[in-house]
Amino acid sequence: MNFQLTEEQQLIEQSAHDFAKEYLDPIVLHLDETGEFPKGIVKELANHDFLGLHLPADVGGAGAGFVSYVAVIESLSRSCAAVASIMNNQAMVSYAIQHWGNEAQKKQYVQALVTGETIGGFTIYELGPIPGIGPDALVATKKDGGYVLKGTKAYVRNAGEAGVYVVFGITDPADPNALTAFLVDAKATGLTVGPKQNTMGLRGCPVAHVGLDNVSVPETAVLGVVKAGREIAAKVLALASVAEAAQTVGIGQAAVEHAAAYAKQRVQFGKPVATLQAVQTLLAEAATDCYLARLGLRSAAQLVEDAQPFESEAAMVKSFLARLGSKILVDSCQVEGGMGYSEAMPLPRLFRDIAGTTLLDAPADFPDYTIAASIA
Amino acid sequence: MSILTAEQQEIKKAAKEFVAKYIIPNAAEYDRRGEFHPFLLEAAKESKIFTMAIPKKYGGVGYDALTQAVVVEEWGYGCAGMGTTLAAGVLGMDSLLIAGTEEQKQRYFEPILKGGLAAFALTEPGAGSDAASVQTMAVRSGDDYVLNGTKCFITNGGYASGYVILAKTDPSKGVKGISAFMVEKGRPGFTIGAAEHKLGIRSSNTVELLLKDVHVPASNLLGKEGDGMKIAMMTLDMGRTLIAALALGVAQRALDECVKYLKERFPGKLQPGQTLQFKLADMQIQVEAARQMLHYTMNLRDSGLPYSKESAITKTVCGDVAMSVTTQAVSLMGSYGYTSEIAKLMRDAKIMQVYEGTNQIQRLVISRAVLSPAPAQAAGKKAA
Repeated sequence: MNFQLTEEQQLIEQSAHDFAKEYLDPIVLHLDETGEFPKGIVKELANHDFLGLHLPADVGGAGAGFVSYVAVIESLSRSCAAVASIMNNQAMVSYAIQHWGNEAQKKQYVQALVTGETIGGFTIYELGPIPGIGPDALVATKKDGGYVLKGTKAYVRNAGEAGVYVVFGITDPADPNALTAFLVDAKATGLTVGPKQNTMGLRGCPVAHVGLDNVSVPETAVLGVVKAGREIAAKVLALASVAEAAQTVGIGQAAVEHAAAYAKQRVQFGKPVATLQAVQTLLAEAATDCYLARLGLRSAAQLVEDAQPFESEAAMVKSFLARLGSKILVDSCQVEGGMGYSEAMPLPRLFRDIAGTTLLDAPADFPDYTIAASIA
Repeated sequence: MSILTAEQQEIKKAAKEFVAKYIIPNAAEYDRRGEFHPFLLEAAKESKIFTMAIPKKYGGVGYDALTQAVVVEEWGYGCAGMGTTLAAGVLGMDSLLIAGTEEQKQRYFEPILKGGLAAFALTEPGAGSDAASVQTMAVRSGDDYVLNGTKCFITNGGYASGYVILAKTDPSKGVKGISAFMVEKGRPGFTIGAAEHKLGIRSSNTVELLLKDVHVPASNLLGKEGDGMKIAMMTLDMGRTLIAALALGVAQRALDECVKYLKERFPGKLQPGQTLQFKLADMQIQVEAARQMLHYTMNLRDSGLPYSKESAITKTVCGDVAMSVTTQAVSLMGSYGYTSEIAKLMRDAKIMQVYEGTNQIQRLVISRAVLSPAPAQAAGKKAA
């Protein structure tokens, strides 16, 4: 068992680090301020093979595996986690199509997702508590050799920029297990994107509700088979948890390092505050949480790469960071005191970003439930 | 003894009404713009909120400490940014209550009774947690003192009518060479620097104060030369309890918003599962325990008993609870939490662990009291 990245993985990680310095550092403040979608950067991600990193070569990917993918996400997130979010949502869509799509669907979409020509949006959440259940569920009614989709999907990332959405709907309102995934073109008649939500952080990765008002799709739009939606959603969301954990660790590591550097030059009581044990403890605990989370998420990523079951490990990583992820920033900001609260410094942005990668999309009991179910 | 009297309940109700009318409807917009809220000063003038801490004999409303905490919790509930403005106004008066002469109190309180704001200026670029390393100088010159230096992170700095400013009168004496001065707005050489853009409490005004040969009459010295740090520490003992009350309000708000949201999300017979139920219970446990600690500390203060250690404990507990409960609230509300005003509560909560002495400084105060109980109880023993 080797816990280190291979030489190839290290090279890929280094290229992501260089990419972040060259392309992300200069724009991160602009994105945070304006929330603008960085179209040019997405194209550059594709040019550097990052969008297809985890996909096999036969669909146009780089075949570098999921461990490399999360190493890249961590490196990019150190500079700009919003761009990593855009990339993760793109990966959720390309992964879903690559795994469950038929040849025609793969041909139509995967290559375009890898080149950044098409942006992907993954729509699972609804305004009701559980997707597919209750009055807010998106309903897919069979009609004329296809389906008519009606309802609203909530808090969709990459909304408005996406050319294709994976849309989950129930094909039988009486059967909540009848959740089915559809590939829906963004230009489809009846599909509308609501106003961009004002997110606390990860600004630049757009979030909006997507409305489907009697959108007709052909039968060939079904991803996988009818009623395979829950399985697809569970697996893709688990995959996303691992990638999000990499974002969290990237943000957290950047914060700890910034706080440590600050502590070394900030003099109080006649010496740098980094020499105070109380400050050392704050930094040490935050660095420890980053380290353990990185080990956990890379281990889960290895399972993904080896095509082993990874859902409960992904849930453990998610649950761990839901408890400790925000604390990394709460404590790093603390080290910088009043300056750690000033938006002239980077930590407040990282504080807002990490809330987005640790606290969301965990319908509170989801990770714990998955973990509990996997024990014995 | 924290059950509110009928009078305190009336005051709480009035504070709630004030907050519902003026603060809550405006909080999100002023937070978004990061702008100060002059309208609140007008509203507060009418309701005499500014005079809450001023004793009746000087024309104020004169609430005791526990009642002040009850009111300040409501401010925090409405908006920690606007609440910070109002609470810092009280803090800016506390030094006068501690060390002012009759004449000084009357002179300083007069503009505040007319709706003015007060500010307390201790922090400097090089004197944050290490408050004793103040560099601002005050040199005696005839009947005046001449002040030179820079203060930073001063709440209400751009809008106050009166300031309490800490400066060195005798650099050879270290902590015992620091003195406290009343400085009125508009004195020549006294200018306001740029406002900070902050993670939270964005509508509160936080600025640098620049003092260049600012003359103040010797009659503006509070207490004696060298009393400054003792006065500052006693002021912070009082101020910390009010920050604790603001933090508590933020936490209570987060809990209430969470319950409201979950009730809407799980309508009718649909109930949130035990995981959610227990998380809500944990939030309530923290909020209620924090409130009782705060009220107990205020009871000590109102009884004239030492409360310096308890003040530090209260500020730490309430600040940490605010951070924890608001984070949990965003988590329980997921994407809704992240894209709505709930996120503001989390951003606002973070400052509660930082200002009026970071929670690390509070732990220094507390650990000193634990390690050597009697001497550490005396305020101003050593600068934290």
